[in-house]
Amino acid sequence: MEENENFETAGREDILAGIIEVVEDLTQDWDLEFEGAINAETGLVGDLDFESIDIVEFVVAIEQYFKKRGLPFEELLMEEGRYVDEIKIKDTVDFLFKHLHG
Amino acid sequence: MHPTLLIGLDGATFTILDPLMEDGTMPFLREFVHGGSRAKLMSTPNPLTPPAWITLETGRTPGNHGVFDFIWAEERKSDHYFTLHNFRDIQCETIWSIVSRQNGHVCSLNYPMMAPPPPVAGCIVPGLVSWKHLRRNMHPKGLYDKFKALPGFNARELAWDFDLEKKAETGIPEEEYEHWVEYHIRREQLWFEITCYILKNEPWNLVSILFDGPDKISHMGYRFLDPAVFPKNPTNWEVKIRQLCLEFFRKLDGFMEEIVKIAGPETRVFMASDHGFGPSREVFRVNSWLHSKGYLTWKDLSQLESDKKKTAQRVIDRHFVLLDWKKTTAYARSATSNGIYIRVIGDSCLTGVKPENYESFRDQLITELQDVRDPETGMPIIKDILKKEEAFPGKNNKQAPDLTLVMRDHSFISIMDKKPILYKRPYVEGTHYPAGIFLAKGPGIRQGKIAPRMSIKDVTPCLMYSLGLDIPSDFEGKVPAEIFSENYFSSNPYKIGKETMPVGSGEQLPQAVPLTTDEEKEIYEQFKALGYVE
Repeated sequence: MEENENFETAGREDILAGIIEVVEDLTQDWDLEFEGAINAETGLVGDLDFESIDIVEFVVAIEQYFKKRGLPFEELLMEEGRYVDEIKIKDTVDFLFKHLHG
Repeated sequence: MHPTLLIGLDGATFTILDPLMEDGTMPFLREFVHGGSRAKLMSTPNPLTPPAWITLETGRTPGNHGVFDFIWAEERKSDHYFTLHNFRDIQCETIWSIVSRQNGHVCSLNYPMMAPPPPVAGCIVPGLVSWKHLRRNMHPKGLYDKFKALPGFNARELAWDFDLEKKAETGIPEEEYEHWVEYHIRREQLWFEITCYILKNEPWNLVSILFDGPDKISHMGYRFLDPAVFPKNPTNWEVKIRQLCLEFFRKLDGFMEEIVKIAGPETRVFMASDHGFGPSREVFRVNSWLHSKGYLTWKDLSQLESDKKKTAQRVIDRHFVLLDWKKTTAYARSATSNGIYIRVIGDSCLTGVKPENYESFRDQLITELQDVRDPETGMPIIKDILKKEEAFPGKNNKQAPDLTLVMRDHSFISIMDKKPILYKRPYVEGTHYPAGIFLAKGPGIRQGKIAPRMSIKDVTPCLMYSLGLDIPSDFEGKVPAEIFSENYFSSNPYKIGKETMPVGSGEQLPQAVPLTTDEEKEIYEQFKALGYVE
């Protein structure tokens, strides 16, 4: 699915493809040791060395790409009042699938 | 459109620049001033980088553009969320967009909160962005690769260096002052080279570069720069650091000279700062004072498990408030806002002051604040206390503090749980003062004119007038007629045009993204490095 399309009816595969495109764009200059292709199992922190400031940029980039502002990202970033240690790409797919369709 | 160049000088003040022009450190600036007009430029009520530059970029005051601080925060029932402001939070149209939609080409370089960049005709290179996110936050796509091809381009130095700021967490050791100044000289050089590239290779009608080094050097080195503060019998080290600071300004002078030269003699050139600078000798620990008066209760950490207690203490040590919200009615959430927030019971705030008691509560607080005195002299330490609706009128002032404090030496407040409540600094540090600078030179500009004080909101209509465009009717400032020659001004009367366009997301406040403790730390370290917090 191309950027600029309506994601309100997007399936998980389209959402996954969009997230991967966003993450690849974010990290292209980072000189990461991570090898291989980014996929659903890739961890933003463990595999791609995301720091907290990168998460903030990630949130903005996701909202821009999927053209939806005000998504409740605390649901993705927090668990029982505490910040999660890792965010997998697939977690973000689940989160977006739930809220883009809402 | 008439070619127009704006050079932003973050934190520049005539207190520092005038002596540097006189002693030969800044010969270009001296010539520029003699050949043009100058005025003191008064900042926003809280003279701080984000609200002030956004006012200059929008022609609107903070109560309308909606930016009051570096951070955006919101109470949510029993917790407190905050995030960094970004472009999407600006509730008014910027001059980059206004000019762009009238078929002008604009270039905005190193301005804060310009990420994610708006799709203007021209170039946007935002400031205060990590190098890791510079590429995607430049407009148009492909601009980053053009810069990358330039000899000596270094994204890590051009952008905000988090690692370097981390080193400053406990204050910059004397042996690193030299490195600090040299680093900022290199940064300004990189922004200078990018500006030259833009001027030579991209179409433009309005170009603006913001040099932020004057602010950073002044925070660290004010005591070396202001002749009134510099010791009469300095140590060798103090002399050396002063010379380094002067070298920064000497280089900056050269960069500006070259930029103006490339822009060409037909270009009208303006220089402006977001605020001034001056000496700070004390810090008011406002949350400690609020606690002493019974308005604020610190979170009790004694009952927490050991590991949680350590985490909580780290949060406190890193400056962000950790309060018992059920027992807190008023608090300051950031040093940079210089403001006090009153917790009023409502949808997002379960405890606090009843709405019907808000006015009387606030008046009582003002009365007590007016009576905070220096224990040594008995003199009041707060010069002015501004109510939200007076300081920040407008439809987007929800994020503004209920009370803004203007300290007698314009210091930033401290929000930490520390004593004494009025801390006397061991040596003078630099802090933001309200009077910045405005300079203009070029066709139609008066020579050698010292104009009356201007407001930072006047710069935007001035730029529009220079370009030859109508002044939007909702701009809050005015064209400073005094800086233009009578002949030019009478033969080129300005026109008031249509209102600015509403921003796409103007009705919606930003989504709060809770920051991790690491991010809190990073932001805190930046603020600490800049002298915003103890």
